[in-house]
Amino acid sequence: MSVTCELIKRNCKLYFKDKGMFFSSMITPVILLVLYITFLAKVYRDIFMSGMPSGTEEKIINGLVGGQLFSSLMAVICITVAFCSNLITVQDKVTESIKDFLITPIKRSALAIGYYAATFICTFIVCISATGLCFIYIGATGWYMSAVDVLLIITDVFLLCMFGTALSSVVNIFLRTQGQMSAVGTIVSAGYGFICGAYMPLSQFGEGLRNTLMFLPGTYGTSVIRNHAMAGVFREMEKTGWPTEIIESIRDSVDCNIYFFGDKVDLWVSYLVVTITVFVLIGLYVLLNNKNFSAKLKNLFKKKNKVN
Amino acid sequence: MKDIIRIEKLHKSFGEIKAVNDLTFSVKEGEFFAFLGVNGAGKSTTISMLCGQLEKDEGKIYIDGTEVDGKNDEIKRELGVVFQNSVMDKPLTVYDNLKSRAAAYGIKGKEFEKNLSEIDEKLHLQEIIKRPVGKLSGGQRRRADVARALIHNPKILILDEPTTGLDPQTRRMLWEVISELRVKRKITVLLTTHYMEEAADADYVVIMDSGKISAEGTPIELKNKYSGDFINLYNVDEEKVKILGKKYEKTSVGYKVEVEDTKTATELILKYPEIFSDYEIRKGKMDDVFLAVTGKKLIEGEKR
Repeated sequence: MSVTCELIKRNCKLYFKDKGMFFSSMITPVILLVLYITFLAKVYRDIFMSGMPSGTEEKIINGLVGGQLFSSLMAVICITVAFCSNLITVQDKVTESIKDFLITPIKRSALAIGYYAATFICTFIVCISATGLCFIYIGATGWYMSAVDVLLIITDVFLLCMFGTALSSVVNIFLRTQGQMSAVGTIVSAGYGFICGAYMPLSQFGEGLRNTLMFLPGTYGTSVIRNHAMAGVFREMEKTGWPTEIIESIRDSVDCNIYFFGDKVDLWVSYLVVTITVFVLIGLYVLLNNKNFSAKLKNLFKKKNKVN
Repeated sequence: MKDIIRIEKLHKSFGEIKAVNDLTFSVKEGEFFAFLGVNGAGKSTTISMLCGQLEKDEGKIYIDGTEVDGKNDEIKRELGVVFQNSVMDKPLTVYDNLKSRAAAYGIKGKEFEKNLSEIDEKLHLQEIIKRPVGKLSGGQRRRADVARALIHNPKILILDEPTTGLDPQTRRMLWEVISELRVKRKITVLLTTHYMEEAADADYVVIMDSGKISAEGTPIELKNKYSGDFINLYNVDEEKVKILGKKYEKTSVGYKVEVEDTKTATELILKYPEIFSDYEIRKGKMDDVFLAVTGKKLIEGEKR
């Protein structure tokens, strides 16, 4: 265990000392934050205001906008930051530092755990810091969250960081070069927000695309954190006598309610989907790191190539 | 002396290319063993299989009597490797690097500090220990690499072209350290190199070409077998050199005459004493051996 701890320390130090890696992982959250504050916040505000009766309290609108921005931001950065911090695994192959560990008696599984845990820790530190900053922003604009909401949001960030780390770990196993590293980083940073419903709610998409995206576990992660980020505002709206139908239609429009081929997905099901995905991805990661399995896989490809 | 490394009928191919082809050799405990060959001869591939980094296609590798087959990773404790290019983490300090590598062998706390101070005595690490590896000069980085290879007290030190690209002063420093280690720790050294003069100092040399052993033996055995002696003649006319009836070449200071062996040289001296007023006899160099064995010349790591 102490061997793994030392590896985790090494990997975390590498991440935070490599300014390029650290700052590149901060690019996505910073761009999103600037985008939301300067542009998207206004768009969301206008959308909410157009659908609400005149005289709606400004703080409620701000709470809704803030909750949506915050949840979208966190849904994306938990994944993009994980991909960036997990680049250590690829960088070790590029710089050949991995050779220095493979000549030691350390087990591959310990190496894999070292990478996974370090990536998770780095991602969680960055994401929880971003969460803190977002709380300050929401506090300044319209705070309705309870202590339970805050705790649930921290749990969601934890779960999404686990998901991001597991997903990036599996993807990064196949990367060998700096070019591949940059390509994957760019694709994930640019594309993930769209396919998880963070940049634009799924409710805005056509039915076919919406149903397709419901097969991706990231969608459920976004919905989970959005529910908790906006729960306080909806409670306040209920308390002040807003009709349930209107509240439900807002929940539908911002993906607090998501539908799998027309059937509403309960919150616990969303949790289950993300949790199961995390376990499946970790299992796959362990399997791919197994020397015997990798060898069999390689042989299979060799045979296939020969046949071709 | 027992065999500390034994390799039997080792094969490794990359597609159609046979990188290592039916390789068999052994290294005795405490020996300074050199692998000589041009790029692509199969030296580094053999080392990679020895270290367990690369799967072998066929054959057997034994380290200290235990077969290296991917199942008994504990045998890796016996090996310390200095790679051709430094593989330490450049943003981290030498200390952090050594600590993380030592931990991979289960060495930590006081044991690590003890090992580190022992290595520090030989390599004088104090001036670089707290500096990031990326900020070190080539020579300092090499010292750090050797320290990393020795941090777990291995029985065998593998040096994969350790002096390529280093200046002569750093090269000399490295060899002084390694010589001291051999004397004090009785460590076995397995070297792959392009440099003939480094191989000439070895106890045993294997010359590899296209994945196969072309020749092997002690440097003196190889020189005797594959290269004749040379007589350097000074202050003599070319007409007199021709009288010797041997192949010769003009040098900047005289003539270099090729003879079969020292006995022939002695016979010539006795027969023509008037020609040999200023001369020297020397054995052939490893360059000559390499050329005779492979038909290739090695110049600073390049094939000619």
